[in-house]
Amino acid sequence: MMQWMTLFKKELLENWRNVKWIWVPLVIILLAILDPLANYYMPQIIDMAGGMPEGTAFELPEFSPADAVMMSLGQLSTMGVLVIVLMSMGTISGERKSGVSELILVKPVSYWNYVSAKWTSYLLLIWLSLFLGLFVSWYYINLLFGELSFVAFIQVVFFYGLWLTFVISLSIFYNTLVKLPGLVAFLTIATIIAMSGITQVFSHVLAWSPNMIAQHIHEMLLIEQIPGDLIGAAIVTFILSILLIIGATFTLQKKELAN
Amino acid sequence: MEILQVNHLSKHYKTKTAVNNVQFSLPSEKCIALIGPNGAGKTTILRILAGLLKPSEGTVSFQGLDANADIRPYIGYLPQYPVFHGWMTAREFLMYSGQLAFLSKSETTKRADEVFDQVGITKEARDERINRFSGGMKQRLGIAQAIIHSPKMLILDEPVSSLDPIGRREVLTLMEKLKQEMTILFSTHILGDAEEVSDELLLLHNGDIVESGAMEHLRAKYQTTKIELGFESNLETYQQQLDSFPEVTNSHIDRNLLHVTTTDIAKTRSNILQLAANKNWPLTTFSISRATLEDMFMKVVNQ
Amino acid sequence: MEELANINWAIIAPILVIQAILMVVALIDLIRTKETNGPKWLWVLIILFVSTLGPILYFILGRRQ
Repeated sequence: MMQWMTLFKKELLENWRNVKWIWVPLVIILLAILDPLANYYMPQIIDMAGGMPEGTAFELPEFSPADAVMMSLGQLSTMGVLVIVLMSMGTISGERKSGVSELILVKPVSYWNYVSAKWTSYLLLIWLSLFLGLFVSWYYINLLFGELSFVAFIQVVFFYGLWLTFVISLSIFYNTLVKLPGLVAFLTIATIIAMSGITQVFSHVLAWSPNMIAQHIHEMLLIEQIPGDLIGAAIVTFILSILLIIGATFTLQKKELAN
Repeated sequence: MEILQVNHLSKHYKTKTAVNNVQFSLPSEKCIALIGPNGAGKTTILRILAGLLKPSEGTVSFQGLDANADIRPYIGYLPQYPVFHGWMTAREFLMYSGQLAFLSKSETTKRADEVFDQVGITKEARDERINRFSGGMKQRLGIAQAIIHSPKMLILDEPVSSLDPIGRREVLTLMEKLKQEMTILFSTHILGDAEEVSDELLLLHNGDIVESGAMEHLRAKYQTTKIELGFESNLETYQQQLDSFPEVTNSHIDRNLLHVTTTDIAKTRSNILQLAANKNWPLTTFSISRATLEDMFMKVVNQ
Repeated sequence: MEELANINWAIIAPILVIQAILMVVALIDLIRTKETNGPKWLWVLIILFVSTLGPILYFILGRRQ
């Protein structure tokens, strides 16, 4: 436990020194509020861009708070996931590539501690960023689109946070598999895209796929209760994340740490 | 007392064998040099001992532990080109290393200053970021992190080969001191360094241990004496005469000198001097040299 | 440009503030860093003139870990 804390504190310090603790939350906030605001001001934006031709009857849709939440999640699911993957792509692979891990892992470091301390530190950063991002977004939604309860906001954070947990777990798993940070990012993104494709094709049987979480969240906001499929998907996502971290530990253990 | 025993250790890669069925044991509280030309397999052996590589065959057993036991708590390791977290200060890195090896925070704090003193990292440098360190300073920090947890055995991969003469001297002196406290196994391709600090030698060539033993023992075993003779001309005729002495084992001409190797220096010397006086040889040079470790090394490797 | 007046600037302000913080943090970090991937002056330009994305690109690609 003491060793785990040592590793964990090092990760926190590193992410503080490389200013991840500043820029990641800010970027996530920005992404979370970008689309709701852009859509709210769409009429003005269109006008400023020269306006619609005279006589065009163009009704801008009215957005509900639930729609606005989905706009936030939409940005997070694309740009947000990309940022998370890119910022974590070198956390283990980079240490192995540069050779620092030769100094660290010749100490009696448990591989599980090494992997899980990194995982936890990234989870802390991501969950905090997500909370802040969606909090600001929630504030705007209440201001501009109508009421969304605080409980609903917390539920969105919780379930969407599980999806991002899966993303970071996947990235850490690939971190132990290959040594090139760029390749880690590529494999993580490719896996997410492939999973999303498969989920779409077989959506009727894969209702509990991690990729379905955002969709189920929408449903949750509409029916104002937690759908069973969301709970199912949440459990599956959580279990998959744990398995990925255990898998990462085993992969690292099997790997030769030097060339 | 043996601290480490290596049995039938091999490491194969797809296209080549880096270490081939190597067997040796290390006496405790000695300084052992693993010596051999570049590419002999030194780094591979050290990395296997440090647990960074897995052997293809064979076992490594550490004093009193099972063959599969984790020996990392008892060893300190310095790779040839150590890389640190450059964003950390030297002290932070040392604290990190010590605590990873199960020292408590207060123990590590105390130990860090001791170790800094020992390796000669100044008070001001201790709290500086490592990415500002010079190569020599990094090497010291490398040794510091390897000994912070007072290991029983210290493994150093080419600890002095990248240093300038002053740095090299300092590190060798440090190793001299450290060997009072722990077993040191270090690799080098420079024989002078090995001769200076080590008590024992392991000679590695093409993945094989070709010779090993205590320094004095090996010196005695391979010690030969050479006489170098210079003549005004016709070196070959004198060479033939000298070759007829039974104790002369070898002779060759190199750079206008006749090199004569003998097993009995006293006898050969008087023979040559007598011949020279009686036959009025036009001798220009007469010198006696003893074979160094380097000669022995070349001899072993060339066998 | 009367539409500009229709925009509630108090609502937009946080976005601008966040962008400004990102830019300043990136610049400070760039000054304090010894080496970057690629020339430093190029990163200064990217951070200053590619809004929002510039600082993010610097944090992800420009920093030497």
